[in-house]
Amino acid sequence: MEKFTKAFPSKPLRVPKDRQWALAGVVGSGNLEVMFERAARASDTMECHVETSIPGFRDSWLAALADFARHYPVGGTKVTIHDQGAAPVLVNLRLRQAYDHLVKTKP
Amino acid sequence: MGTAEIAVRRRNKSERLDRVGRLARGKFVSPKNVPELLKQIIEHGDIVCLEGDNQKQADFLANALASLDRKDLRDLHLVMSCITLPAHIQLFKKGMVRQVDFCYAGPQGTAVADLVKAKKFPVGAIHTYNELYARYYIDLTPRVALIAAAKADRKGNLFLAANTEETPAIVEPTAFSDGIVFAQVNEIVDKLPRIDIPADQVDFVVEAPYPMHLQALFTRDPAAITDVQIFMAMVALRGIYEKYEVQSLNHGVGFNTAAIELLLPTYGEQLGLKGKICKYWMVNPLPTMIPAIESGWIERVFSVGGEVGMERYTAARSDVFSTGRDGSFHSNRAMGQLAGHYAVDMFIGASLQIDINGNSSTVSKNRITGFGGAPNMGCQPTGRRHPSKAWLKAGAEASPGPGALPGRKLVVQLVETFQAGRVPTFVEELDAQDPSIKKALHGVAPVMIYGDDVTHIVTEEGIANLGACRSIAERQAAIRAVAGYTPVGLKRSKRVTQDLRARGIVQLPEDVGVSPSQVSRSLLAAQDIKGLVRWSKGLYDPPSQFVDW
Repeated sequence: MEKFTKAFPSKPLRVPKDRQWALAGVVGSGNLEVMFERAARASDTMECHVETSIPGFRDSWLAALADFARHYPVGGTKVTIHDQGAAPVLVNLRLRQAYDHLVKTKP
Repeated sequence: MGTAEIAVRRRNKSERLDRVGRLARGKFVSPKNVPELLKQIIEHGDIVCLEGDNQKQADFLANALASLDRKDLRDLHLVMSCITLPAHIQLFKKGMVRQVDFCYAGPQGTAVADLVKAKKFPVGAIHTYNELYARYYIDLTPRVALIAAAKADRKGNLFLAANTEETPAIVEPTAFSDGIVFAQVNEIVDKLPRIDIPADQVDFVVEAPYPMHLQALFTRDPAAITDVQIFMAMVALRGIYEKYEVQSLNHGVGFNTAAIELLLPTYGEQLGLKGKICKYWMVNPLPTMIPAIESGWIERVFSVGGEVGMERYTAARSDVFSTGRDGSFHSNRAMGQLAGHYAVDMFIGASLQIDINGNSSTVSKNRITGFGGAPNMGCQPTGRRHPSKAWLKAGAEASPGPGALPGRKLVVQLVETFQAGRVPTFVEELDAQDPSIKKALHGVAPVMIYGDDVTHIVTEEGIANLGACRSIAERQAAIRAVAGYTPVGLKRSKRVTQDLRARGIVQLPEDVGVSPSQVSRSLLAAQDIKGLVRWSKGLYDPPSQFVDW
């Protein structure tokens, strides 16, 4: 088990205020859960909380999250990740799915 | 060869046949006499072809050969496409082999790597399929070929059933150069459904005490397809199939391409691509193609081999599959490989490792597998002259030049950036470049597909269009751009990646109109094996290991 928290610079989220959160994936073997929530904090950072069952991949997580924050306007959100040994290729997909849910679907 | 030498070969053959004496009655040999007969018809130093195809195996004859010893037979020069069985490995362990020339060692890859380490694997070269068959006609002509067929009649005509595979490519060069052809069959009958090999080319037949071994290689359970594979399949469909209007193609046999097959009747239909793409195939009868066939997407399939359980379905769909006069399925590996080389616009498959130049390999230090057919299809057929939309479009993107071909085949690698167990697919240097492996192969690294031949790499991160790159540095940057969070990918420059994206050389999923939120298992036309059986109207008979109902 490894836990870490970090904030990344990002452009402000442009989504109606009534959309408070979005979720993708599940906590299950080889899978992960990604949850976006609106944060009260600065609107120019994405705050990340990662909990992963497989230690030793912190650098890869940070690189993937930094790229994501740079690529998508997610400033003013808090993202919580519970990883149960998901393949690295699944991480980005779940992040993008959760973001899509946040910006496209009704709450 | 002069006439005197030919006469020697012919005389030598009749001497061998004379030695057989009462071990055979005409062409027919009793199973118990097989080891002794092999001693009489094979001589020390012979080139011997032991039929081990991708799927069917002359396993009874292989076991009989492996029951002999160095004192009986030695210095054999084995030529065989696939090293598949424990009996094949025994021949090396017993020191009976002087040289081996082969293509593929999938199931015995670890054993082969061990033999290489122990210096007990005197390899000539690892070949591609058609390359080895071609050499059977030139400098690797077998003196004795030990082959496998489904049935023989009382004259020695052979029926090969669904798995013709490479039998004709072995028998013809052997029979037409005074070699000896010895077939094991499952059954001897009065009348064959059809004749695939004429008795005239067959010297001996044994009814084996057990049916020949058939590897079920190409059955992919839709239930095991992941969300990421569905996502990549969508990216490939839009970014490659739709863009180039790919009409004729070959698919690899992994889950990535199985996902594409299962998306055609759903996602492909929504995109309005039916009738525009994927009409003509060189591929084995993959069960995951059943929904697309039943939905009317596919005009024609030609196969290099069969697939266990697809016999009744393929016979019922003779409008799509190649079938004999008897109505049953027919395949041919040499001709299928030729078709895959010249007659299709795209090869798409996966690999275990890809280096920064786009070279790929499935070899690791502890597992030497070889190639099989991928390189014959995953390469640029520079002898091609007929145009097609896809070929011309890919050609137009490539470096122009007065001596350049007008078209290019699409050679696509569809890979996730990591393999199982968090092993990166992308590496700076292939394991195949390991000095000890290269040394065993006389200086030639076993590269499966060369980077110069690859036009696209598709990962979950996006598409790298290598065919449109203008320099080696650009190609390396494009590969790093889609290599995700592997060490190779982490070295990418954001500025260069942006520039490549602006020029369309790197495309992200959203650039081709694919959003991760569209990913859903419900897009797979069949969710599991049972779903495939249902699509086939009960004509597909899955192997028992896939049946859980």
